[in-house]
Amino acid sequence: MGKNIIDVDHLSIRFNLANQKVNNLKEYAIKLAKHELMFQEFFALKDVNLHVKPGEAWGLIGTNGSGKSTLLKTITGILKPYQGTVAVRGKIAPMIELGAGFDMELTARENIFLNGAVLGHSNEFMEEHFEDIVEFAGLGKFLDSPIKNFSSGMKARLGFSVATMVDPEILIVDEVLSVGDYQFRKKCNERMEEMLSGGTTLLYVSHNIDSVKKLCTHALWLDHGEVIMSGDAQEVCDSYSTRQEQIFKIERKEKEVKKAQQTGNRYDYLVVGAGLFGAVFAHEAYRAGKRCLVIDKRDHIGGNVYTENVHDINVHRYGAHIFHTGNRAIWNYINQFSEFNNYINSPVAVYKDELYNLPFNMNTFSKLWGLRTPQEVKAKIAEQIKELNITEPRNLEEQALSLVGKDVYEKLVKGYTEKQWGRDCKDLPSFIIKRLPLRFTYDNNYFNDRYQGIPQGGYTQIIQKLLDGIDVELNTDYETYVKEHPDSFDKVLYTGPIDEYFQYSLGHLEYRSVRFETEELDMENYQGNAVVNYTDREVPYTRIIEHKHFEFGTQPTTIISREYSAEWKPGMEPYYPVNDEKNNELFAKYRELAEKEPKVIFGGRLGNYKYYNMDQVIEAALETAGNELKRKLL
Amino acid sequence: MNTFRYRIRTLYQYKDLIKELVSRDIKLKYRRSFLGYVWSVLNPLLIMIVMTVVFSAMFNRNIENYPVYLLIGRSLYDFMTASTNGAMGSVTGNASLLKKTYIPKYIFTLSKVTSCLVDFVFSLGALLIVMIVTRSPFHVEMLLLPLIILQIYIFCCGLGFLLAQFHVFFRDIRYIYKAITTAWMYLTPIFYPLERLPGVLQLLIKAFNPMYYYVAQFRDVALYGHMPGPRIFWGGWIWAFLMLLIGLWAFQRNKDRFILYI
Repeated sequence: MGKNIIDVDHLSIRFNLANQKVNNLKEYAIKLAKHELMFQEFFALKDVNLHVKPGEAWGLIGTNGSGKSTLLKTITGILKPYQGTVAVRGKIAPMIELGAGFDMELTARENIFLNGAVLGHSNEFMEEHFEDIVEFAGLGKFLDSPIKNFSSGMKARLGFSVATMVDPEILIVDEVLSVGDYQFRKKCNERMEEMLSGGTTLLYVSHNIDSVKKLCTHALWLDHGEVIMSGDAQEVCDSYSTRQEQIFKIERKEKEVKKAQQTGNRYDYLVVGAGLFGAVFAHEAYRAGKRCLVIDKRDHIGGNVYTENVHDINVHRYGAHIFHTGNRAIWNYINQFSEFNNYINSPVAVYKDELYNLPFNMNTFSKLWGLRTPQEVKAKIAEQIKELNITEPRNLEEQALSLVGKDVYEKLVKGYTEKQWGRDCKDLPSFIIKRLPLRFTYDNNYFNDRYQGIPQGGYTQIIQKLLDGIDVELNTDYETYVKEHPDSFDKVLYTGPIDEYFQYSLGHLEYRSVRFETEELDMENYQGNAVVNYTDREVPYTRIIEHKHFEFGTQPTTIISREYSAEWKPGMEPYYPVNDEKNNELFAKYRELAEKEPKVIFGGRLGNYKYYNMDQVIEAALETAGNELKRKLL
Repeated sequence: MNTFRYRIRTLYQYKDLIKELVSRDIKLKYRRSFLGYVWSVLNPLLIMIVMTVVFSAMFNRNIENYPVYLLIGRSLYDFMTASTNGAMGSVTGNASLLKKTYIPKYIFTLSKVTSCLVDFVFSLGALLIVMIVTRSPFHVEMLLLPLIILQIYIFCCGLGFLLAQFHVFFRDIRYIYKAITTAWMYLTPIFYPLERLPGVLQLLIKAFNPMYYYVAQFRDVALYGHMPGPRIFWGGWIWAFLMLLIGLWAFQRNKDRFILYI
C-alpha cells in the first residue's frame, strides 16, 4: 500500500447559476430589482471521493455535463473546492485542451516557448527539448509560420508534443485526441502507453468507452456530479454502457409513443409471423426508424426456430436447427445477437443393430465393408453399381442404386426415404434424389460450410433480441387482426403460406410435414449424440434428437424427440415445400396474384414457397428489408 | 512568512512565462509594420509635435522648453493608462487559458504592466531625441530616473490588479474607467503648468493625484536638474505601495471566484 498521489475527499463544487450570467451593471440592477439574484445554486460535483495511487490509470466517464471536466479542473487547481479537500502530490501535466495558450498570431517556434512557459517549464529546458518537440509534432518547414494558418490537427499535434515533453507524474487528458489523423492518434496513444509503463499516473476523460477500457486500469463513473460507480475499468465501463443503452431505449420508446400519438397509432409495417424472417425484417425496419407490429398466431415468438427451455435444456420444438453458413457477413450478423458454440453436426445412422457414421464417408464404408483405403472403397462401390447395370433409372430406387450401390442404399437410404415419403422407393419419382454425396475422407462433419454452431442459450433469445423494442402480439391471426384494425398499418410483410393469404383460391400448395414425440427421460445420456437417424423401415420414426447434446449439456435428465414423417393435409403444420413441377406452377400463379398487392411483401419459407436454411432466411430477409428501406444492409 | 516565501518562489518559477508573455506583446504590437520598434519612439514624437503646435500658443510663454515638459507628462501618463487598461482585461482576456491550466492569475496582470513598461522605456528614446534637438542639458540627477520609473511601475501594478479583479465581475468598469482617466488627464499638469489652476484645486491635486508625484519628480530631475523635494519623492513611494497593497488585497480576496465569472 503506497501513498496516494491524488486524494479527493468529499469534494463538492457549487456554481451559482445566476451569478454566471450577470456581468454588467445594467443586468445586475435588473436582476436585483426582480429579486432574481438570490440564488440558483448548482452543484457540479457532490461529495466525490477519488483516491489514486501512483502509476494507476483512471478513466472518467459520464454523459456531457456530468462533472468530469469540473473534477479535472479541481485536481489541476483551476477550481477551488466548495466543500471537501483535494490533495495532489506530484507534478501535473494538464492536457485539458491541447494548445491552450497558443497565440494564433505567433509562429510555431514562438508558441512552443510560450506554451512551455504556460506549463511552467523554464526557457533553458525548452531549448533543450526544442528539437524533440519539433520532431514529434512533425512540423518541419512550418516552424516559422503563424499558427493561425495551421489546421486543427497540426495545432493538436504541436500541443501534444509540448505537453508530453517531460515525464510528468500525473498526466491529465480531457477528450483531446479526437482531432488529428490516424497516424498521429496512434503516435499519441503510444506515447501515453509509454508514459504509463514508465509509472506516470493518468487521468483520462473520453466518451470512447473502448479507449478507456484499453488504456485504463480503473474508472470513475459520474452522473450529474455524483459518483455512480468507481473501481475496475472493465466493470465500470460495462455497467456504464449497459445503463446508456437502457436510457437510449427508454428515450426511443418515448419518442415512439409520441410518434404513435401523432400518426394516430399507425404502424409502418405489420409483420405477420414472428419467425426468423419476420424478426430480422422488423429489426432492420425498427433500426431505420420505422414502427413495426409483429403478430404471430402461435403463442410464442421464433416460428420454427423456437427453442423452449425445459429443465435447463433448450428443446428445439420444431426439429433440429443447426446454424451453418459459408457467408461471413451473415455469420457476423447473427453473432451480434448471440455467442455460438463449436457444435459440429455429425449424425449417426442406426440400421437394425448396426451403427454407421453420416454423411456417407470413409468411416461409414469402413464399417460396412471392413475396407481401409479410398481406392478399395471406390472400387467396391463401382463394382456394386456395375453389377446392377441400370442405364435409365425409372424410379427413386433405381436412381439411388445407380449412385451409391446396393449396400449403402439398402442399409442407409431405402428405409429412411420410404419413411420420409410414406411410400415405397419404387413408387417415388427419381428426381427427388439428384445426387447422394459420397465422401472419401474420414470426416463426419455433415455440413461443408465454413461457419457452424448452436447459439448458446437457444434461438428464442436471438429472436427476442431482434424484436427488442418492437411491439409483438402473439395468438393473433392475420385475418382477424386485419378485420379488427383495418387502418392501423401502411404495409404488410407476410411470412405465412402464400396460398393461405389468397384463401386457397387457386388450390393448396403441398408440403411435407413432420411430427414430434418429445419426452423427458430420467437418465443423463440417452443416445450419446444429438442426431441419430433410424434407417430401417421397421422403426416407425425417422430419427431421434437428443437436445442437450447441441449444447454439450450435463443436466441430470435428458429430453428426446422422436421425429415422424407425416403425410401433409391442409390444416397441418407445413414444414418442407414440395417443389415439384405441379406445385411450382401453382406457386407461380400465386406470385402473379401477389404482384397485384403493392402493399404486401411476401417473404420467408412459406411466403416464397422455398426451402431455406437459416442463413438463407437471414440473407433473404436482409435483402427484402434493404430493398424496402432503401439501405444497404449487407 | 512561509506563504510569502512560497509566493516569491512561484513568482520566480513563472519568470519565464512573464518573459514570454511580455515578449509576445511586444512582438505582436509591431509585427507586420515596416518601422517596427521605431514606432515606440516615433509615435510619442509625432504626438508631441502636434500637441506642441496646438498648445504652445497657450502656455508657451510660462514654460521653459515646452516640448520636453509636454513629452515627459505625456509619456508617463500614457504609460499609466496603457498599462492599467491592459491590466484590466488581462484576466478576462486569458479566460480560455485560465479555464484550462493552472497558472497564478496575477501573472497575466503583471506581464501586461511589464510589457507596457518596456514600451515606455523604448519611448524614452523620443525624449532623448527631443532633449538633444532642443539642447536641453543633461543633469546628474537623471540617475534617479530608474527609481521614479520603479515607483510608477509599482503604482500601475497595484492599480492594474484592482481594475483586473473589478473587470471580472463588472465589465462596465472599462467604460467608467475611461471617463475617470479623461478627468484624470485634465487634472494632471501634463500640457499646462499647475500654477495656472485656482489655488484650491492646486492643493487638491498636489495632495491626492498620484500622477502629479511622478510627473513632477520626473520633470525635476530631467528638465530642471534638481533633486525632487522629499514630499513628492516619499509621497511617490507611499502612493505606489499603498496602491499595490490595495490592488493585491482585492485581487487576492477574489481570485478564487474568477473562474466562475470568466
